[in-house]
This record gives sequence, structure tokens and C-alpha cells, in this order.
Amino acid sequence: MKRAIALLALMATTAATAACSGSGGGAAPGAAGDGQVVLRWSTWGTADDIKLYEGFTRDFEKRHPNIKLKLESVSDYADYHPKLFTQLTSKTAPDVFFVGDDNIGKFVSSGVLTPLEGLLAGPDSKSRPEDFFEGIYGGAKKDGRIYGVPNDTNPEVLWFDKKALKEAGIGENPADLYAAGQWTMDKYLDMNAELKAAGKAGSIFWNWYGSTYSVINGFGGKVWDGGRFVATTDAGARKALQTLAKGYQDKTFLSADVLPESNSASTRFLKHDAGFYAGGRWVIDSLRKGGELDDYDIVPFPSPDGKPMPGAVAASYMAINKDARNPKEAFTFLTEFVSKEGQLLRLKGGGAVPSIKGAEQVVLDGYPQHAQTFLDVRDTGFANYPDEVAVPGLTAAINDELLKVWTGKVPFDQGMTELQKAVDGMTS
Amino acid sequence: MAAIAKAPARPARAGRWVRTRDGWWAGLFLGPQVAFLLVFLVLPLGYAVYLSLVQWDGFGPKTFVGLGNFTAQLTDADFLRAVWNTTKLALITVPVGLALAVLIAAGLAGIKGSNFYRVLYFMPVVTSSVAVALIWQVILADDDNGVLNSTLRRFGLDGPDWLGDPGWVIVAIAIVTVWSSLGLNVVIFLAGLQTIPPQIVEAARIDGASSARIFRSITLPMLSPTIFFSTVVAVISSFQAFDQIYVLVNPAHNEGARTIVYQVYKLGFKDFQFGMSSAAALILLVLTLLVTLVQFAAQKRFVHYDS
Repeated sequence: MKRAIALLALMATTAATAACSGSGGGAAPGAAGDGQVVLRWSTWGTADDIKLYEGFTRDFEKRHPNIKLKLESVSDYADYHPKLFTQLTSKTAPDVFFVGDDNIGKFVSSGVLTPLEGLLAGPDSKSRPEDFFEGIYGGAKKDGRIYGVPNDTNPEVLWFDKKALKEAGIGENPADLYAAGQWTMDKYLDMNAELKAAGKAGSIFWNWYGSTYSVINGFGGKVWDGGRFVATTDAGARKALQTLAKGYQDKTFLSADVLPESNSASTRFLKHDAGFYAGGRWVIDSLRKGGELDDYDIVPFPSPDGKPMPGAVAASYMAINKDARNPKEAFTFLTEFVSKEGQLLRLKGGGAVPSIKGAEQVVLDGYPQHAQTFLDVRDTGFANYPDEVAVPGLTAAINDELLKVWTGKVPFDQGMTELQKAVDGMTS
Repeated sequence: MAAIAKAPARPARAGRWVRTRDGWWAGLFLGPQVAFLLVFLVLPLGYAVYLSLVQWDGFGPKTFVGLGNFTAQLTDADFLRAVWNTTKLALITVPVGLALAVLIAAGLAGIKGSNFYRVLYFMPVVTSSVAVALIWQVILADDDNGVLNSTLRRFGLDGPDWLGDPGWVIVAIAIVTVWSSLGLNVVIFLAGLQTIPPQIVEAARIDGASSARIFRSITLPMLSPTIFFSTVVAVISSFQAFDQIYVLVNPAHNEGARTIVYQVYKLGFKDFQFGMSSAAALILLVLTLLVTLVQFAAQKRFVHYDS
């Protein structure tokens, strides 16, 4: 009997010890010592990406000694949202978190985010709703309510290699053509054909909506119309997709997703093997590591008639958990993080474009020559379609179906039928 | 008479007491395990069965759809491809992995210093599956850094894009799976070999049986219970393959690497379709059960328990 009592006591002690060790010394959740509030926030990114936040964190904690920031990061974007989702359903999510533009619609419709329009317009706000460009709210805005603030952006532009174009016998500069209102889809495709004839790739695209939908726009096509996915039936869009499929198969275009790591998109571009590379401001990082900066410049995606048109803008959003333990402090952090000052501090030397008006000097630091293009595309561009981002996994499913067409695994017509079927299956 | 009649009563009461006391002890020790099973196995399984009958995105209300999720999955091309990929993986890894392990164990059983080799073969088993996947990524890469293809090129051979080609990726995954599980199977077979009475082998040798004949007619039949056990475990683990594949190849970009568990993960945590995901998980459970039942039925013909 004594042994039984001793055993029970041991079990009880073990349980108690485990309980203590798991709760950080018994402090209330979200609270540190001396009345200090611990604010949990999460984002994705590599160690290098995360370093960009160190300066802001130090500065913020100095100005708000009552708040201690605790960053919970996930290195891979693909793993970030499943983790966040699990945390939200189990009520263990951080107070503040990033949400990608392909998932924001789902979180908005699920009602797990705090509506922010009142707070953003309030006296404590350092980032008013109108400080952000309308087009980049994307799925973060619904029925006039704001559920996420664009923390920064990456407008999709065409980087071009002046040396590669010259080697292919192309004398015209795409940026000059754009300035003259002559940067048309026909002109762009002619350049790609000339690059191909010179033994180079015309363009390298990542298989995502930013590139694909920009090309569709360049053909005057529609992707979504009246809540319905029409890219497979709209004449312009279908022609664009057909051009892309043909280009991928005769190697005029390369899909960065399937290039081997040793000869990746960045490597090909640095080796002057391709004329154009579709990407955001982040391409600067690759060029700085191994390229002659002066060889490269940027231009928006071409339009049917040479007139400027809206381009795709990759965005991510900062949102507040509806069940945040410290909502007041959470908003203080959010509004300062996305504010002009916050973005100036965070994006200095980084590869993104500020999402707020007034922080443009970060981008206009002298490189590339037409850096203003980043801002023009951001100011008039669009984040992924709300109809698309409202359905989890839809963008990924569209990309998967398109990749089968790009790689020639599925003939074009069959690919379009399967694409429409996949979209209908997920949206019905 | 009465005294005689009462005499056995005392030990009988003591026996009940002993049994009761033993029962308490048994309950005390078994309780946590039973509770663990209930909380982490029975309840989630029951909840998964419930979820498989509803449509649910993780946040909103659940809509009862009956067997709709099952029929949707069983007619879904992606899921059927995942079943086929998983079957292919099992068909390659189980026979190849076990045959190699038996041969290596039989070879090690008779040599000096076999402990060194045991440790060597066992090392991948204790290595994290993520580390294993990362190392094999470098070996199998189809570029200048890819160890395997670079080596093949030196011999004038052009290796496939192991991790990029949907037709080859299962072979690549199988190579890694066999390599990383070989040590465990070798150790199990070495233990099995030790149960074979040496006098039987000795008698066969005196009768003039060759080593190959001894292996075929004595070692293999007497090892058959161990082989059966390892086959069941290997089949189950190939059906549940996920973590190593997820790191080694991004199944999102290579449909050839999408196994059933990946499909379960994708449906649940990427597409937020928990009903579909639960249905896929239950189909996997039934599939595994069926294959195991077939193996148990077949063992009567191939497994010898007599010594």
C-alpha cells in the first residue's frame, strides 16, 4: 500500500512538474514579468529574411518597454499557412500574423481575423486605410471591411538583360519603348522570337498568377468575370495561354519551377542566357550576388496597345487574431509595423516595395535605372483576384493544371478542359 | 465437520484478496496506457469517421454528406494516382529492401567483427529522416552537384532526373527508403537467424548440403516468421510514407511523388477540406487493413513455425 501511495505521489509530482515547465513558470499567457506583455507574432522567411526585422524589433521594444515581441517564424512559405491554420483552430495562434495573398480570402471568410478599418482610422493609428493603394488590398477587404493590411508588396515586372538583347541583335530598349507608348505584346513576342533564334531563351517565368495573368492582360484577356473563371473560354486569355504553352514547348519561354537548381532561373539570367526574367524587386538580390548590375533594367508587362495597364502585385497581409490576448498592443505593433516609418526601417536594403504611400525613397535608391516602374505597377496594379483567393488551394490547383500544359504532359485543349473542370469543382 | 468445511475458506479469501490486489495493480499500470489509447487513438479515429461524413472547412458549420466524400475520393484522379504511387513504392521497397536485408544478415551472421557492420548498417535508422532526405537530395540532384548522375556520366551513362521526372521519382524515393530502413531489417533478421538451431545446419552440412541449399532449404523457411513480420511492418510503413518524401521532393511540384498520406495532408491543411481528408485517411486505413489481412491469409502457406 505504501508503494502504491508513493507511486501515486510520484505521478502527481511528475504531472505537476510537467505542468509548470510548460507554462513558463506559471505566468499568465501573454504576460511576462513586471507587467510586460509578450506579443506573439508569426511570419515566414529564411534566416536572412527574418534578420530584416531585427532593427524594427529593437526599435519597437525600446519605444514600448511594456511590450516584448516574440517572433515565431516558419522558413518555408508552403508550410506556414497549414501551421497557422492549425493554431487558429486550436486557439493557439499568435496575436499578430502574416497571411499570404492566396490564403487571406479563406481566413477572412472564416471570421478569425479582427476587422481593422475602425482601428486604422482611429486616433492611435499610424497607418490609415487610405494610405494603402486600393488594388493591393485584394482579398483582405470584404464588404468594405479591412481584415489585413498589406505589409509590403512585390510588383511583378519584366527584368531585361541589355547584354542578351544586344547579343540577339535587338537594338531597341524595352524601357524606352514603354516610355514612348510602344511597349506592346507584339513587340515583346518579336523580341522573344529573336532571342530564341539567337540560341537564348526569350523569357523565364515562375508558374504563378503574377506572370500568367500579366501575360493574359497583355493580350487583353480576362481571367475572372462576374465571379466566374473565364481564362479558358475568353478569347484573349485563351490566345495568351496558347502562346505561353507553345513558347514553353519550343523553349522560347522557360518555367523557372522546373529548371534544375544548378541552372536555375537566376543563374540563366546572370549567364545572359535569357532576355527577360519576370520577377519582383527581389531579383536585385540575385543580381547583386553575381551580376553586372548595369546590364539589367526593368519594364512593366506589355499591353495590347502600348498604353500602361494594371500589373500583378504580390502582396502579403498583416492581420490580428480575433482571439488575440492583447488586442490593444497587437494593434500598436501592427500599425507601426506597416506604417511609413516601419516600412522605411524594415525594407531598407530588402527586396520588397513599400505598400504605404510616402515610403517610396526605399525603392528610388538609384537601382535599377527605371525603379519608378515598381511604384507605377504597385500604384495601379492588382493583387490576386478575390474570387480566386477566397477558395483555399485554388490558385495552387490552377498552377498545377497549367504546369501540365506548359511541360507538354497534357495537350492544350485537354489542359484547358481539365483546368476549367478543376476550378469548377473547387468553386461550386 | 464444520471446522473441516471452514478450513479452506481462509486461503480462498486470501486468494480473492490477492486477485483483487493484483487487479488494482494491473489497473494502475494499464490505466495510463488505456487512457492514452482512448485519447490519442480511439477518440481521434471516431472523430475522423464522423468528419469523413461531413463537409467542413475547419471553421464553419459541418454539412452532412453521407458517403459523398468517399465516392468523391474514389473517383478522383489525384487520389487514385496517389494510391498507385503508394502501391508502386510498396512494390519496390518491400521485396528489394527485405531481400537485401536477408542477404546482408545471412552474410554478417558468419563473419568476424559483424558488430561493426551492424552499427554501420543501423546508422541511417537513427538519423533524422529530414537529414537523410537532405543528403539524398544532393546525391540524386540532376545537375553538376548530383553525386549519382555525375558518377554515371563518368561511365558514359546519362542518369535520369531522379527527383524531377515523375516517372523516376518513385524509384528515387524507393532507393532512399530502402537505404534508410535497411539497418533495422538487418538487425531483425540477425536476431531471427540466431533462433535457428545450429545443429540443424550442421547436420545438413554433414549430409553434404551446399551453402546455397542450406540457405534455401533451412535458413529461409526457418526465418519465414521473421520475414513475415518484417513484410507486414514494411508494407504498413510504405503505405504511411510521408516525411522523407515531403523533404526529398516537393510533392506539390511533382505529381509522381504524391502518396496517399500527402494527399490526406494536402486536402486537410492546404485545401481546408477536412471531410475529404478524413475520408482519404480512412480509405488508407481500410487499404492497409486489407493488405495486412491478405498477408496474414497468405502466411499459412509460406510461413513455417515448426523448428
